[in-house]
Amino acid sequence: MKKVLPFIKTIKLGDVLIIFMLMGLIIFIINKSWNTPIGQYLKIEKNNEPPKIISLNQIKEEKIAGLLGDSNISIVDGKARFSKAPCTKKYCIHQGWINKVNQTIVCLPNQITISITDGSESYDSVNY
Amino acid sequence: MVVRVMTPLTIKTTTEDHFIAKLAAIAIVLSIIEFFLPSPIPGVKPGIANIIILYTLVKFNLQTAVWVSLIRVFVSSILVGSLMAPTFFLSLFGAISSLIFLFIFQKLPKKYFSVISLGIIAAFGHILGQFFIARIWIIPHDSIFNLLPLFLISSLIFGVLSGFITNTLLEHKTNRLPN
Repeated sequence: MKKVLPFIKTIKLGDVLIIFMLMGLIIFIINKSWNTPIGQYLKIEKNNEPPKIISLNQIKEEKIAGLLGDSNISIVDGKARFSKAPCTKKYCIHQGWINKVNQTIVCLPNQITISITDGSESYDSVNY
Repeated sequence: MVVRVMTPLTIKTTTEDHFIAKLAAIAIVLSIIEFFLPSPIPGVKPGIANIIILYTLVKFNLQTAVWVSLIRVFVSSILVGSLMAPTFFLSLFGAISSLIFLFIFQKLPKKYFSVISLGIIAAFGHILGQFFIARIWIIPHDSIFNLLPLFLISSLIFGVLSGFITNTLLEHKTNRLPN
């Protein structure tokens, strides 16, 4: 208690006001940015090949040949998932359905990545 | 034989320059210490050099704080070895935007706002500047805004802390100008 006392003495009304305003702003941003919109396209990336972009507004079973064998990607009701994979752990299948922008499922053994997009994008990141 | 006498250095330094140098030295040491602190999430750092900038702003003026801040950014990045690397630009634009925010809000009435407000505003400005440069250059994708709340929460906490520490420094009994 003795250590908290100087802090209470220091802080003034305006500070509390600013803290609450910024908390409100943070909650607003959380609501805004953690509710990503639903995407319209599925991007399928395979090792060393240009990405293939297909629409999510269809019912389709896409068969993609990867490093180990064929992976099946099913698209239903604007959602997509891996439905069949030749890998041993099946992590990609257990990821389930994705439909929001920037959601991604990666199948490392078969070297296939699917992600939801809604438009064009450039490079991923600058590293050094 | 002609003896050549080297002309002495004739740059006149004012006492303000000495204060800037000393405060910048402290700020550099603090940011080097901070560089070696482990961080749970990459990029979330306490920003302890912010304390010195706030102290300078309150004790002197904004111009001195700008000097101290920019000297800190350049020298600490040279020492750490990240000059002209993306982290340097993040640090630089964070510092500049932090100073811009401080410039806007430095005239807050002292009666209702203590240094804690300035600390929060500086920390927020730093994060917003960094996110701006990160969004337009380093990771040009909207998905980085998902990280924004995390960084804003940490900047709120560390802003309050650094403001409080600055206040303690300013009110300390043995508080004298460094000379």
